[in-house]
Amino acid sequence: MTVAVSLEHREAALTHGLSRYGRPAAIGLLVLALGFLTVYPLAMLLYGSIHSTPPGMAGEFNSAGYRALLAPDNLQALANTALISLVKTGLSLALAILMAWIVARTDTPGRGVLEILITLPFFIPPILTATAWAMLGNKQVGTINLAWRWITGSDGGLIDVYSYGGIVWHMMQYATPFIFLFVVDAFRAMDPSLEEASRMSGASRWQTFWRVTFALMLPVTTSAFILSFIRGMESFESAVFFGTPVNIKVLTTQIFDMITQRAQPDYQAATAMGFASLVLMGLLLVLQGRLLRGRSFTTVTGKAYAPNVTRLGPWRWLTFAICFAFFLLTVVLPVGQLLLSSFFQFFGFYQIDMLTLEHYRSVWANDEFWHAFGNTMLLGVCGATATMILGGIIGYISTRTTWPGRKLIDVLAWLPWMMPGMVLGIGFLWGFATLPHWMPIYGTLWALLLAYMALGTPVAVRVTSGAYAQIARDIEECSRVHGANWGQTMLRILVALAWPAFAVGWVLIFFGIMRELSASILLYVPDTQVMSVVMLKMWNSGKPEDVSVVGLIMLALVLLFRWVQLRFIKRRISTL
Amino acid sequence: MRRRRLLGLLAAAPAIARPAWAQGDDWNKVVDAAKKEGKLSIYTASIGSPFHKKVFDAFTAKYGIKIDLLEARASEVRERVRVEQAAGRFLGDLHHNGSTTTWLMTRDGNFQPHGAIPNIANVDPIYQPDDLKIPAEVISYSLLINKNMVKPADEPKSWKDILDPKWAGKILSDDYRALGGGAVFFPVMLRTFGRGFHDKLAQQKPVFSRDLQNNERRCARGEFPIYLPFNLQDLNTLKGLPVKAVVPAEGRPYVRFDISMLKNAPHPNAARLFMNHYLEPESQIIFGNAGYGPVIRGVVEKTIPEIRELLATKAMGTTDPPKQDEMLALAKEIYK
Repeated sequence: MTVAVSLEHREAALTHGLSRYGRPAAIGLLVLALGFLTVYPLAMLLYGSIHSTPPGMAGEFNSAGYRALLAPDNLQALANTALISLVKTGLSLALAILMAWIVARTDTPGRGVLEILITLPFFIPPILTATAWAMLGNKQVGTINLAWRWITGSDGGLIDVYSYGGIVWHMMQYATPFIFLFVVDAFRAMDPSLEEASRMSGASRWQTFWRVTFALMLPVTTSAFILSFIRGMESFESAVFFGTPVNIKVLTTQIFDMITQRAQPDYQAATAMGFASLVLMGLLLVLQGRLLRGRSFTTVTGKAYAPNVTRLGPWRWLTFAICFAFFLLTVVLPVGQLLLSSFFQFFGFYQIDMLTLEHYRSVWANDEFWHAFGNTMLLGVCGATATMILGGIIGYISTRTTWPGRKLIDVLAWLPWMMPGMVLGIGFLWGFATLPHWMPIYGTLWALLLAYMALGTPVAVRVTSGAYAQIARDIEECSRVHGANWGQTMLRILVALAWPAFAVGWVLIFFGIMRELSASILLYVPDTQVMSVVMLKMWNSGKPEDVSVVGLIMLALVLLFRWVQLRFIKRRISTL
Repeated sequence: MRRRRLLGLLAAAPAIARPAWAQGDDWNKVVDAAKKEGKLSIYTASIGSPFHKKVFDAFTAKYGIKIDLLEARASEVRERVRVEQAAGRFLGDLHHNGSTTTWLMTRDGNFQPHGAIPNIANVDPIYQPDDLKIPAEVISYSLLINKNMVKPADEPKSWKDILDPKWAGKILSDDYRALGGGAVFFPVMLRTFGRGFHDKLAQQKPVFSRDLQNNERRCARGEFPIYLPFNLQDLNTLKGLPVKAVVPAEGRPYVRFDISMLKNAPHPNAARLFMNHYLEPESQIIFGNAGYGPVIRGVVEKTIPEIRELLATKAMGTTDPPKQDEMLALAKEIYK
């Protein structure tokens, strides 16, 4: 008895000690880690934006960079960017929510397979789909326009991808699956009794969807909207491919021009433009915070439930057709071009005498590619895992504790997402290269890993925060009352319940790492080459067909990952 | 750091002062020292070129010196070198880039004198080297035409032929308002034909795109009958497609790539040996056959016939690095 009391005392003392010293220490550590990952490179960029020369060069402090933002060209680019991103995010969000509901909450046939197919476009390198769409939808000889002329006998074309519409369409192919991945598990994890209660109270199906289902999804959907809107503001490939030829300028093409297209790069104006974008995005986040403040979004409670499905009757074939049409347009058409082209000598020239397996042989025999593939897999697995752990902890602190400093951590985690990638890449270069030489970061895999973690943390935090916000506190409290400590509760309750979101976040970050180029090109050394750099080399050396083969390898990996992931999710849900 | 630089200059000084032909013994010492260094780090703006790789591999095979190659776009290479040197990290030995970036980096003090290089004696007089740089290879620009869309009789014979209204809206072009081939084409045409040429070309509404490899394919697919300025060395990757390179009567604009030794290079002897290797006829013929202009005498004559007839045309002119930004601004004014 005495021993038991003594143990209890010791445990209580330990808990008291942890809460007294552990919390500040944990917060301090997180602030330090995030400070290094996000504030440090941004501080270098801030210096660059208010100094006439980059770090390490003699110059003077002035506001020329910010004044340059007011040039008509830049203001026009900013307006274009906001408009394009708003339109594409709005359309993508509507489509993604519709498809997420179809897949997660209806009896649409083949929805398990559709779920994988819908997400595929996100994982195809944008340069490849841009090339494919340039062949499908160019005004003069695009396949779709040729078919249209042949069918209708008209002289005009049906579509022209070199336009605002082309840019929005190409961006939607990435935004829609991205948002879909964000929201689909939230739909699946929702307790249907809330919707049943609404229906029992006389609400129509639409009223229930709008007032209950959609309203409860607000943290997830607004997060996805903002993440996607910001990504849209920072998107480069679509604009440079389909906008530049018709003089449509956006934020990133202006920055690209300032950094790489002038004899004397203007880092001051480029970094100032990056900060202008950061401030705009910050305002959006404040808006989101206000929208969600003081509301509860709990859908996963301690009560048992089974996710139900809405029986659509014959309408299920319409919902099937919607999802399949999306897959057809965003995957079959462009990937079909890639697949076909990978077996011909030249992309888009389909003659029997040009059939070849040479591109597969070329990639297979490319030692540089496989070395980069190994590095990328290592960085992808370690980077995605470490980022999800970091993001999971930050998400927990910001959504489920009242610790002082939690808001600061949340803001710090957001910062890298709000700075255009090609500017942030320069921040990492300046930051890591000027570290003391005894810190073995610059010129090693660590530099890439840290940059990838910084870039991925906002996704990890949003994904986990959205999932935590849906889990009722009583489950957590119940666990603590039954004697589980914080770690056990975290692992067995929160992570266990939110783990589909963890899996989605992991996949998003992993493939984000596979595609990342802006920071990679500035931080790699010959021993630490990654796939995106090797793909750039292949592209520049006139081998788009080899890049297609690599794109197909990436797609095969995606299929494998998604299959494994969904198998686990199903098993998990069946045990809930 | 200052002491190292001074020592480097002192070491290089005797070699600079003496003529190349008198340095046989000294050069053997450079070769031995280079082999002892065993490694070379090159920063290049030539991304993914198989021809450069051939020349690099031949160097490794001949001397047993491993090459670490860092490839990135011109401005990225420049910024890496700048920030590394500012932070006291001297990781690279050689820098390989276009003449404008090389000029800017020379101005910024990123290079050190390379010392005597025996093969400099073979360099063609129009590509004169200096203490800080040697010419590497030359990129020449022509027109690319789609043979299915342009009849032989309609092929432009002069650069001015592209101003014919029949080509209005049918010209795809690298952007004259950004660094690259377009920024070489623009000042050369300006000097040769005057501003009127560009005013008229602007009325032709050329479509600009900086995705060079894709531009060539777009021309081959029949989206546009003419693409310019076309990098002659890309002809190899288009063999089998219905396209043809045409060098008009006035000649071809060109831009030079240079090699320079980076300040405080960790492997200075290997760097010098490589510079010499680059100027060997065996290396330059690889570039020549690929469509690059060789920079030493007597190589163009030995290139394969289909390339020789293009490279043997008149070198029309090149960029003036100090005026580059002024030219880009003028191009922005004309091509809105």
